[in-house]
Amino acid sequence: MIDNLIISLIAIVGAPIIGGLLFGIDRRITARLQNRFGPPILQPFYDFFKLLGKESIAVNQIQMMYVLSHLFFAIAALLMLVLRQDLLMLMFIFAFSTISLIIGAMSVRSPYSKIGAQREIMQMLAYEPVLLLMVFGVYKVTGSFMIQSILDYPMPLIYSLPLVFFAFLYVLTIKLRKSPFDFSTSHHGHQELIKGLTTEFSGTQLALIELTHWYDLMILLGLIALFFAQPLWVGILIALGAYFLEMVIDNICARVTWPWMIKATWLIGVGTALVNIIGLYLRP
Amino acid sequence: MEGYVLALLALATLLPAFCAAICYVIKNRAVRNFVVVVNTLVLFFITWEFVRLLMGSNGSIRINEGSLPAHLGEVIKYLDVLLLGFIGYQGLKLKKPLIVALTLAQLVPVIFFEFFMGVHEPTAAFVIDYLSVVLILLISLVGPIIAIFAIGYMEEHEHHLHLAKTKQPAFFMVIIGFLGAMNALVMTNNLSWMYFFWEVTTLCSFLLIKHDENEISITNAVRALWMNLTGGVAFIAAIIIIYQVKGTLSVEDIAVAPVAGAFTGLFPIALGLLCIAGFTKSAQFPFQSWLLGAMVAPTPVSALLHSSTMVKAGVYLVVRIAPAFIGTILGDMVAIAGAFTFMAASAVAISQSNAKRVLAYSTIANLGLIICCAGIGNYVALAAAILLIVFHGVSKGLLFLCVGTIEQGIGSRNIEDMQGVMKIMPVTTIIMVIGMISMLLPPFGVLITKWLAIEAAVSMPLVLLLIVLGSACTVVFWSKWIGTVLTMSYKPKYAIENIPTSIKAALGILILAVFVVCVGIAPMYNALIDPQLKAFHLTDKIQLIGSQGGLWLTGGSNVAIGGFAVLAVFTIILALFIAIPYYLHKGKSADLRAPYLCGENIDSDLRGAEFMGPGEKPAGTLVRNYYLTGAFGEEKLTHVLNLIAGAIIMLMLGMVIR
Repeated sequence: MIDNLIISLIAIVGAPIIGGLLFGIDRRITARLQNRFGPPILQPFYDFFKLLGKESIAVNQIQMMYVLSHLFFAIAALLMLVLRQDLLMLMFIFAFSTISLIIGAMSVRSPYSKIGAQREIMQMLAYEPVLLLMVFGVYKVTGSFMIQSILDYPMPLIYSLPLVFFAFLYVLTIKLRKSPFDFSTSHHGHQELIKGLTTEFSGTQLALIELTHWYDLMILLGLIALFFAQPLWVGILIALGAYFLEMVIDNICARVTWPWMIKATWLIGVGTALVNIIGLYLRP
Repeated sequence: MEGYVLALLALATLLPAFCAAICYVIKNRAVRNFVVVVNTLVLFFITWEFVRLLMGSNGSIRINEGSLPAHLGEVIKYLDVLLLGFIGYQGLKLKKPLIVALTLAQLVPVIFFEFFMGVHEPTAAFVIDYLSVVLILLISLVGPIIAIFAIGYMEEHEHHLHLAKTKQPAFFMVIIGFLGAMNALVMTNNLSWMYFFWEVTTLCSFLLIKHDENEISITNAVRALWMNLTGGVAFIAAIIIIYQVKGTLSVEDIAVAPVAGAFTGLFPIALGLLCIAGFTKSAQFPFQSWLLGAMVAPTPVSALLHSSTMVKAGVYLVVRIAPAFIGTILGDMVAIAGAFTFMAASAVAISQSNAKRVLAYSTIANLGLIICCAGIGNYVALAAAILLIVFHGVSKGLLFLCVGTIEQGIGSRNIEDMQGVMKIMPVTTIIMVIGMISMLLPPFGVLITKWLAIEAAVSMPLVLLLIVLGSACTVVFWSKWIGTVLTMSYKPKYAIENIPTSIKAALGILILAVFVVCVGIAPMYNALIDPQLKAFHLTDKIQLIGSQGGLWLTGGSNVAIGGFAVLAVFTIILALFIAIPYYLHKGKSADLRAPYLCGENIDSDLRGAEFMGPGEKPAGTLVRNYYLTGAFGEEKLTHVLNLIAGAIIMLMLGMVIR
């Protein structure tokens, strides 16, 4: 019990710090890839505290509520991960977090944030089946939905679930809203979408969304690490490697359209995951 | 003791019938309202008594044929013929040869079977076990609340129609009578009696859909009638076959696990036919169109058909006979058919902008999931099926009532028109949003059952894939709708809307029920559902236990292999959702700005509803939801989906013929 409490506390405090640092490194590397010098690695934290200090501007009274539930459910999902709970339920809680943000973006009468929200829903339509299939693949191998049993399983999951892992990497790009799938909120505010999903959030709200984003990143990297969980440090290294891969993809891809994304994800993501799972059935 | 049970039983079925008659005969509004309320209270009491008696019994309350009034069987036989005669007469009156033909296709076998074959009625006429009580709870708690809602609603409804003469007496008669028939249907152990009550619900739904008597309602009522009559034909055929093979009509004796090698011959076909009857009643693809057409009826009718009665009869039958086909090819096919409907209905729902049609497709999808779980038939799956019957009934009843209330408030049932409804009807909107969240998100029951269904479907990858894809689609249509409804610009103060007392009461009780079934999931599971699963004699290694306010899957050695602490999560979420608004309210108010419109805002307009368009003329900003009609359009998909679903059902029958 006390152990769990301490683990939870470490996760809640530690995750955003590492997440923020990773985003800082991301920006630096991206800048170098684009032949710029780039901001300091601690820039995300400077941004975060600056945003917190801004005067509070809102479009309606309840935006903040959605932002907070976006944050809290991400934290809840993280806790389920570190406390090694049911993986499938974790996915549902994680989805709740995203849905909170979508509803928050839709709650204002702004065309840009509404379009961003619609596109985010389309992203969910694309990646949700893959995430659920991944959970199923894990069950098929370990015989349990609990994350604990993945850690107890003698072999790394990657040996049994290579294609599922590939599908998950694919989906990771969508989840992180990186190019070529960055159409619900773009990194540059001067495009047709303005800032999409986050257009109407400012100050503290935006800071909290940023914070949630760090939590999200840590949850996703944690899920990657699960595939290599024996020993855990290999998993962590691979997760970092996967994130580096995402950065590269982000920089070399142009944005695609969302209908294309849904088709491609259902075909490639669901397809490969399914091939892997069917393979598990055929395995003696 | 037995006398008391008998009295309760009579009360549960005959009281609604009696109240129905009073409603019809005494055409006084005050009397009618009084009768509706009394009927509600008595039904609540009966439900409570049944639960209490069942807890004190050893698994079921039984009433033998002998203790019933003499000749009851005879009476039901004649009523059966009378009922079919009445349906046939309706067909003649409306000049629909199909109805007449389908009626005859039942009437001839019924007369032949009931009067010339010398059928032995089963000893136990009524067996009320846990599954029955779960259904009684649903029917007798949610049903009467909808009737109460109807008091306020129908007043307003008829006001809009400018009728010369009120049609409410007939309306309330059918609504209340319906509840009696449903109660009887879930309690009886005699398959041929069940068939009678089954046909009563068919007739009731026909009358209710037809209620407004305009062209479209009659067309749709006729469609509902012929589709359900098709199910009736399958039902009576199944009865005759089962009696030939098994020599009994006792549901208890039919719904037992097949002995090795016994699942051959005609019996599996009869079970398949019963499943088809269940599919028609539960509006599974390709029979979904009757339920969609039923939307033309006044809202309480939709609420009743979708939540506690009618469609639940279909899934009840499938779950009831599930032990007889678990683990067989028939079970697999039922699972596939249900999962297919879940996926198909969820996908088509994305393309719908009519709120009631979205709800209808969601109902069809959830019923599909229930049937799918019954087909999978392991411990966890059946638990999910029964739990979903409850959760879906409560939430969907609430949602229909909310949509009906909002429709009367804003004069539209289009989701796009619900933008900003929060301003006009804040209380109803919030209740509706909670209702929608209870269909989609944790910690509410529907999601829990979806979670269980996925965890149970591990043995069947195809079923799993269909559930997973369907599940992604449900996220799309619900979150779109929730987002639209909650769209609001700043408003300093919200005025609570003025709605009739009966509607307020109904919405209040149902939202409470949504919370109660969510919080009480573990005790409810332990008290009512787990014993039923034990009674089904399921021998799976993986079991489901309710403890610590949540549900946990355990493997062979009692190690949790999955689980969710519902109560804990619920408490935290509730605390947050009370604390956050309170804290936000207390804190300093934010500086309000209009949304960003590329700097072309109109200065006085804080809502951002207009911007300065070309030629310095104000133009409206309007963003509609994505409906993806190109991919998920109803016209485009329905035919294909119907064909596939039809093929699955054909295959289902074909594969059991050996």
